[in-house]
Amino acid sequence: MNIRSKWFLLPMSFMTAGLVFAAACGGDDDEDKTPTGGTTPGATSAATEPSGGDDRAPADQQKITIQLGEPQFLDPHRSSFEQDIGVERMLFRGLYNLTDDGAGGVNVEPMMAEGEPQVRAITSTGSRLAAPSAQEPAVYTVTLKSGLMWSDGEPLTAQHFVDGAKRGCDPTVAADYGYLWGPGYLDMVGCADLQANEDESQKQTLMDALGVRAVDDTTIEYTLSQPNDRFTMIMALWVTFPARLDVIEANGDAWTQPGNIVSNGPYMLSAYTAGESLVLVPNPNWTAGETPALQEITIRFIDDLSQAFRAYQSGELQITRINASDIAVASADSDLADEVLINPSGRITTLQVQMENEVLSDPNVRLALSRAIDRDELNEVVFDGTNTPAAYWVVKGLAGYQGNEAFDSIIGFDEVAAKAALAEAGYADGAGFPELSIVVHTPDFIRTAEYLQEQFKSILGIDITIDQVDSPTRSARFREETFELFIGGWQIDYPDIENVLFGLFETDGGNNHYNCSNTDVDAALQAALSATDDDARVAAYEDMETAVVTNLCGVIPMWQDSLPFMVSSRLGGVVANGTIDAGHPGNYCAECWYVKAE
Amino acid sequence: MLGYVLRRVLWIIPVLWVIATITFFLMHAVPGGPFTREKERTPALERAIQAEYGLDQPVYEQYVRYLGRLVRGDLGISFRDRQPVIDTIQTQGFISAQIAFLSLLLAVTVGMTLGTLSALRHNGPLDYVGVIFATIGASVPHFVLAAFLSTILSVQLGWFDLLGWGGPKAASDLLNPSAYDYRKMVLPVIALSTLPAAYIARVTRASMLEVLNQDYIRTARAKGLRESRVVFRHTLKNAMIPVLTVIGPIAAILVSGSFIIEEMFNISGIGKEYVVAVRGRDYGLIMGTTLFFTLIVSVSSLVVDLLYAVVDPRIRYN
Repeated sequence: MNIRSKWFLLPMSFMTAGLVFAAACGGDDDEDKTPTGGTTPGATSAATEPSGGDDRAPADQQKITIQLGEPQFLDPHRSSFEQDIGVERMLFRGLYNLTDDGAGGVNVEPMMAEGEPQVRAITSTGSRLAAPSAQEPAVYTVTLKSGLMWSDGEPLTAQHFVDGAKRGCDPTVAADYGYLWGPGYLDMVGCADLQANEDESQKQTLMDALGVRAVDDTTIEYTLSQPNDRFTMIMALWVTFPARLDVIEANGDAWTQPGNIVSNGPYMLSAYTAGESLVLVPNPNWTAGETPALQEITIRFIDDLSQAFRAYQSGELQITRINASDIAVASADSDLADEVLINPSGRITTLQVQMENEVLSDPNVRLALSRAIDRDELNEVVFDGTNTPAAYWVVKGLAGYQGNEAFDSIIGFDEVAAKAALAEAGYADGAGFPELSIVVHTPDFIRTAEYLQEQFKSILGIDITIDQVDSPTRSARFREETFELFIGGWQIDYPDIENVLFGLFETDGGNNHYNCSNTDVDAALQAALSATDDDARVAAYEDMETAVVTNLCGVIPMWQDSLPFMVSSRLGGVVANGTIDAGHPGNYCAECWYVKAE
Repeated sequence: MLGYVLRRVLWIIPVLWVIATITFFLMHAVPGGPFTREKERTPALERAIQAEYGLDQPVYEQYVRYLGRLVRGDLGISFRDRQPVIDTIQTQGFISAQIAFLSLLLAVTVGMTLGTLSALRHNGPLDYVGVIFATIGASVPHFVLAAFLSTILSVQLGWFDLLGWGGPKAASDLLNPSAYDYRKMVLPVIALSTLPAAYIARVTRASMLEVLNQDYIRTARAKGLRESRVVFRHTLKNAMIPVLTVIGPIAAILVSGSFIIEEMFNISGIGKEYVVAVRGRDYGLIMGTTLFFTLIVSVSSLVVDLLYAVVDPRIRYN
């Protein structure tokens, strides 16, 4: 073999590899699309001086980096994940906004709207507008504030809210929260028909018949099938945000990328690097609220909370969620102790019970399981005391919250009562009790299952196996109802008691995959749905919660979640409200955040 | 030789087809799908979602449609963010390739140097250092090492940054010094290269020791050749075959990205993207990245085989 052939092989082999890499690797210069003055007409790049406050750092220091999971979409009408919604709140705003009331509850305040909606019966016209009765269609008229604009300088008009409503209701947009426009919730006229439609040729007719119209550039009319006291609350949610159809149609799925996306909220998207981060800068055409002080918010997509905590310690992050196990570490550090924020969230976690299982359908068995759970100890052992032990279902912070006092003596921890209940069911000391499995998917849930496994064995003498699966498998098994025990719960979508009960426990309820079917529960729901005033409605839902919890109808409550965060002491304006926060504490008013002067 | 290379390249095509087929049907066989959620959807919404992504068609029809797009070079879109899969592979594969290249360079340099010195100073202090390094490097998981390095070198000492990758985002910036931020490059590269370096060191040491005991090495020394000539011209070259054998797969594994390292250091690499795709049942991205990794492994294997012939004149391909 001659040398010429040998030396031919070297460049041949590397050229082969090089060709592959050249074809597969190497992005374009414009992969990070950062808008310039030409791509966002009407927007200026001038820094906005912080508004008021003498403890604020100069504008050139008003930059922060914070942690969050990566959003799936930045399209508010399609989003369902918390991280998506958290960012969208900074980019967009609806007619109303949910804010902290300073007493653990929530206010609904006008945001794009001038004030409260005018409500009248659909048959009411002229100068004296009659209020609708409880069961007849009602027209909600909302007037926009004057001078509103999108980030590209285009006026924000009523038609954009009409387009947003239609988009939210349209099933082809695949809005997971489109149900809020439909029956049982806002119930906008025509939305139920559109969402049930299977004939493409009828779609435009049904869209045109939807109960929403722009009376003029600043007035929107929504026609609902019946009055709804939660109208303004739901109109604060992402699925009701306005839409720029011209931008969406011009750019298709790329409409949410930097350079294409336009927003009406306090911030706009400046850069997006998939898998890494996004950058927000102030919307120069934001006039609906406080002028943002922060000139740049970089959101890093970090799922490893241990590494996020280390990045916080090294100064690379100013807000981050952390693991419960790091709370003690942070609290022991004199520099970090005051920066720990434990934010109670609007999520309740339970041991869900398949009511169609022969053994679990026995109320004494469910009572035995519930009374064998030492919720305080569970919280200490698994979560270092972070969460709130719960024998209730309706989360704290909502009107109608009853708390542990109402139910602890009935279903709370009591070893003697647990054993007695199991004996009453015919399984004294666990004799003859079949082995059950519990489906889990996260490290926290696995540890919880291990704790329950040990508790049930030592107190009741029964065996539980742990069935560890990944998230999609878990969701599939829940939907297909192929489980016996399942750790899961409910995260509120909006802070009203109906959201944590309606659809979850009534017979054949859409989310009732544990097959709770109880006449008291059904009756209470009917009373709530037919209530003529809000107090009666809330009282009926309280009765529904009582029926669910005391019967352990599909769920055995364990804890209300709290999310631990690190928030830099140099960051001001962060007002946490767990029942409405999404992603970060206080991001319902991210424009209120600022960096303090040193 | 050219014929051999062409044959190997053409063989990649059926390999890709087999991998695509197995992956496609396995993917659809596991429970859950890309849009499976706990919360209920209306039937119309569920139908709309399934129809939008072609998931309402029978699996075999989806497979045929996918193959049809594949032969046209269309890898489809991500079910998660609806962006073209090829764009994701290009941008994030480029990032992973940088990390892989630097990690491989460091691993080969450190590993072969340590392995060679260990062999040359067999049973001496340097040998023990090399063995200890190789043992620790092979025993400590790289995410543990990454956490350790992060705590000491970044949190405590503040020498390096934890978040992001400091290399260029585009190929056009490869020669632009201002596109590099070494503070963001050191920790991920060290964490990722330690295990391969340890493995290369062990293999190099063992291979070198075997060659050093050969008669022709004794002869070379007896002839009075300089030790450096004995090592580099005779020993190392003959010891390279086993080392090349492990470097090839190591290179392929590194290029396919390390999910854990990319996750920990907030790097938008292809490894992290792949694992996220599997977790989320993102069919489009799973297929595209699997085929990309298959291609990488196939090409790496070919390159290694060709390098055998460079290193060992006795190896010839017809």
